[in-house]
Amino acid sequence: MIDFTLSELQQAARDYAHQVALEEMRPISLECDRTEKIPDSFMWNMQRRFWAGAAGQARTQAQEGEEKQDNILSILSQEEMAWGDAALSTAIPGPGLAAPPILSQGTPEQQAKFLGPYMDGQLHWGALALTEPGIGSDVAGMSTTAVLEGDEWVLNGHKHYITNGARSDLVVTFATIDKSLGREGIRPFVVPRGTPGFVVGRIEEKMGLRASQTAELIFENCRIPKDHLLSGRESSKKAGFKAAMGTLDATRPMVGALAVGIARAAHEKTCQWVQEELPKGFSVYKRREIELELDEMGQELEMARFLVWRAAWMADRRIPNSKEASMCKAYAGGLVMKVTSAGVRISAPGENSESRQFLQKWFRDAKVFDIFEGTAQIQRLVIARRLFPEVDIP
Amino acid sequence: MLNFAPTQEQEEIRQLAQSLAMEQVRPQGRSAEQQGDISPALMKTLTQTGLTTPFPEEYGGSGVVEAVTYTLIAEELGFGDGALAMNIIGSLMGPLTVLLAGDKSQQQHYITPFSDASRGHLQRGSLGFAERTGGYYVTEISATIRTEGEQYILNGSKRDVIHGGQSSPRVVLVRLEGTSGTGGLCALMVPLDIAGARVSLDEGKLGLIAAPSAAYTFENAPVSATCMLGQPGGSGVLRAAALYNILRAGVACGTARAALDYAMDYARGRIAFGRPIVSYQGIAFMVAEMAMKLDAARLLTWRAATSWDRGTGCETLVQEGEAAQYQAIKIAKSATIDAIQILGGAGFIQDHPAEMWMRNAAAME
Repeated sequence: MIDFTLSELQQAARDYAHQVALEEMRPISLECDRTEKIPDSFMWNMQRRFWAGAAGQARTQAQEGEEKQDNILSILSQEEMAWGDAALSTAIPGPGLAAPPILSQGTPEQQAKFLGPYMDGQLHWGALALTEPGIGSDVAGMSTTAVLEGDEWVLNGHKHYITNGARSDLVVTFATIDKSLGREGIRPFVVPRGTPGFVVGRIEEKMGLRASQTAELIFENCRIPKDHLLSGRESSKKAGFKAAMGTLDATRPMVGALAVGIARAAHEKTCQWVQEELPKGFSVYKRREIELELDEMGQELEMARFLVWRAAWMADRRIPNSKEASMCKAYAGGLVMKVTSAGVRISAPGENSESRQFLQKWFRDAKVFDIFEGTAQIQRLVIARRLFPEVDIP
Repeated sequence: MLNFAPTQEQEEIRQLAQSLAMEQVRPQGRSAEQQGDISPALMKTLTQTGLTTPFPEEYGGSGVVEAVTYTLIAEELGFGDGALAMNIIGSLMGPLTVLLAGDKSQQQHYITPFSDASRGHLQRGSLGFAERTGGYYVTEISATIRTEGEQYILNGSKRDVIHGGQSSPRVVLVRLEGTSGTGGLCALMVPLDIAGARVSLDEGKLGLIAAPSAAYTFENAPVSATCMLGQPGGSGVLRAAALYNILRAGVACGTARAALDYAMDYARGRIAFGRPIVSYQGIAFMVAEMAMKLDAARLLTWRAATSWDRGTGCETLVQEGEAAQYQAIKIAKSATIDAIQILGGAGFIQDHPAEMWMRNAAAME
């Protein structure tokens, strides 16, 4: 039965994340953005809040319930945390983007081995390395190589734009075992930090999400054990590429949820600014025009959220959702740009208040949501290819 | 708990509506536009299926209306033909408003004829909502009544009232003098042969030609107190107004989907420079955009429908219905315009229905 209301568990997950966003993120948001640094105290607070106590209980309950709903629970809390601060939300300790490929492609032994340590109460991060200087959306053209020598894989190549790349305990790195196979030669490997030949390069300076760590990773004859190839479902030749793409089907709704969270924050702040700080002397008509624009963006915000919810709901039910995942990501990515730029424009006549600083920060943060996890153009290409499976759309 | 799948029963009803839409409604779209109305034979077929009699069984109906189920039906009818769908929904809103706002004897009197096996399909109801000074927003309703002895004195206008010239019950949404917003809204059944009432049939319309409509002007028109449905300012009136908007949104989603589907077929088969035109990103991205925005608007519509079924507070419900119809009509307009663009020259020619759908979408506001 179609239902847009949250269950008690879903509502609890959302409320909890909102509390965290309000108490831990908003207060340090502008400062972290300015300095591009996150205090250790934040990391430990997040570790405590998300890996112990109520959050831990919520996770256990989710697993005991009849229906799987990790994706829904995840996107509900992602939206809240991005409402707090999207950059800080990417730095929350945990396996992060490394988890989906390990869960979907790892054997039970590999899952236990690689994800187990995240439960030990210490600070750990994980990362996913897909993008290279020469390839972005076209992951099939990857040039990082993996060659099996005896009992070890030898990795060579260059990854960049890797979130949490420099602080991660392990990085799921995609590499090709045979370039002539194209996309079918791509495999996911788990590379632990400290492996000889695995070096962190530069940390990027960015226009937005400045507190989020974006690293360059270099692999030079980096040797890892043979069983670090995620091989749970190796029967299909396309396994590696599918893992990469399958990861995107799960993470695009999360990125969409983050975009919705920023858009909501900006929409709220702009509405509040118009009510409280719009300079006297604005004509009734001008004010009405602004209100109508904000009303309409409020509707679009709800549609973006529903697209995200649907894609995550499908993922939980294991219904193929590439098209829907791309739709929510494309829609939310475009919307967050629209809402944040409107916020900057509408508040332009104001004093340089804290509201305006937040709006300007969110405007800078927003742009990347139309780019990472597949650009706006790639999302449309994915949607079109799903709509026309029989046509080759290059 | 979040869920995006219709029930098994809803899915079966949707499929029935879809097959009727494709086999009966779509083929008659163009001829209905020429006739300016739905054919009695088609209306009879639909009535026999029970799809157009969502009334309680005690009034001979097929079961009381549920917004989610009927939104699914409205989309399928709109997928068949937007104008015929609006014709059907427009008529239905007459008895449905009586059902939601009226008392038992009014319900018995006005709804039962619609369920009649031999003559029900000839019955037409109507609900006057939008005015010359606004759209389908409750706050923009400015037609007023004031009490004078045993009767009401009615002032104001209504536009685009589907079946407004020939309907019974002929319901109009008005407000008690001195009220605003969602307060004081009333549903009044108006005879047109009263002093101070003027009816003009809409002619030479841009679109929705197959849904005949009329405009009203009331100047100090006296209406008997017995014409009031239920209590003035009751929540049933607001639920009726919200339902109309939700179903209009459903029809608009169907119109957008028809345009998308038609454009997809064309883009798949049309070859340019040796390839199907959809293999060019310029076309492929347009189609992707249409599909994405349609899904977004449909979800907004579904949300409003679930709120209606759950009995959500009227203030919220009215707003959700208004947002749904606004966004759904917006995508119906842009998708039909884009469909014509994808068809190229063929889109401009009346051999294809795309141009008719574009005119229909534009006439929904």
